[in-house]
Amino acid sequence: MLAEGVLIAPQFMAARAEKARRMPNEPMDEARFEAFYRKTAGKIWSYIYRMTGDAAAADDLLQKTFFRFLRSNPVIADEDHLRRYVYKTATNLVFDHFREAKRDRAIAAAEMPPPDDFRADRGELRHDMMRVFGELKPQERALLWLAHVEGSSHEEIGDALGVKAKSVKVMLFRARKHLGALLSKKGLAPQ
Amino acid sequence: MTGCRFEPDVIRAAASGEWTSSLRGHLDVCADCAAAVEVGPWMEDFARLDDREHILPDPAVLWLKAKLMQSNTMMQRVALPITRLQIGAYLAVAACWAAVLTWKWPLIQAWANSLTPSHVVLASAGTQAAATASLSVSFFAGIVVLSSATVFLAMHTILAED
Repeated sequence: MLAEGVLIAPQFMAARAEKARRMPNEPMDEARFEAFYRKTAGKIWSYIYRMTGDAAAADDLLQKTFFRFLRSNPVIADEDHLRRYVYKTATNLVFDHFREAKRDRAIAAAEMPPPDDFRADRGELRHDMMRVFGELKPQERALLWLAHVEGSSHEEIGDALGVKAKSVKVMLFRARKHLGALLSKKGLAPQ
Repeated sequence: MTGCRFEPDVIRAAASGEWTSSLRGHLDVCADCAAAVEVGPWMEDFARLDDREHILPDPAVLWLKAKLMQSNTMMQRVALPITRLQIGAYLAVAACWAAVLTWKWPLIQAWANSLTPSHVVLASAGTQAAATASLSVSFFAGIVVLSSATVFLAMHTILAED
């Protein structure tokens, strides 16, 4: 009985995934959403987390991203389009988050501590790296992450950031130079 | 063409350390790719930092919440005309109250004064009877109708919220 259950579970999962794959033009159902979510959510969370340096904010913004995604009643067949839409939504939400944080900081002045992982008082490598990355402008962080980690094309980056693909070339160059200068200043530049 | 066509290869080579001579030569003539190489290895290390053992929200819960939010939004959209009608009714009733009170204010004041003990005594002596007689039955009927409308509106709002 138990063995049967163990055998059925992967078959059931495979059937759901197959069903999700076979119906690209229909409105997204729960099975298709689950398949898409499992494929993208981890990457989106990492992207938001590296942008904000705050795990709690990343959780919150990830949920908001997928709520917006579902509210748009996605029916587009191409999964690449869906992925682009999610990155664009996540980027917009992160920028909104920074705008809100900036406004709150203006009100609360020095009372608010910086997000957990951009804090300077931890000596670990990850926090040093997060701190360096946190010194970049939010748009520069997005550009670098999408170009170097996600391997996105300039067109995809432009789509996510709401700028022309032609402008991405210049913006990316400046972002790289800015990061390069920060790494050199902190003695972290690769040899 | 928006970026250098060698850029993806350069980023990959910078991450893996596997360079071809032509690709390395390209760095001398392409400032974009040279800048990519400058930060490429660091970005690779940065991306490889583990994000702790992070538990992502369950997609089934997200799906359910999104559907609930959608139905709430739909309900709000459906209830919007009713809410507008309620606001209109409140404004109309308030305007009626204001009109009645403004129009009959001197008479109401006189009638209220007539209820004081000294006026009651004088009225019973027959010296001051005009003020109390001037507020008609139709005025009191109007007040009753307006009060009923106010109570009805308040009850409707409370019950609609429930």
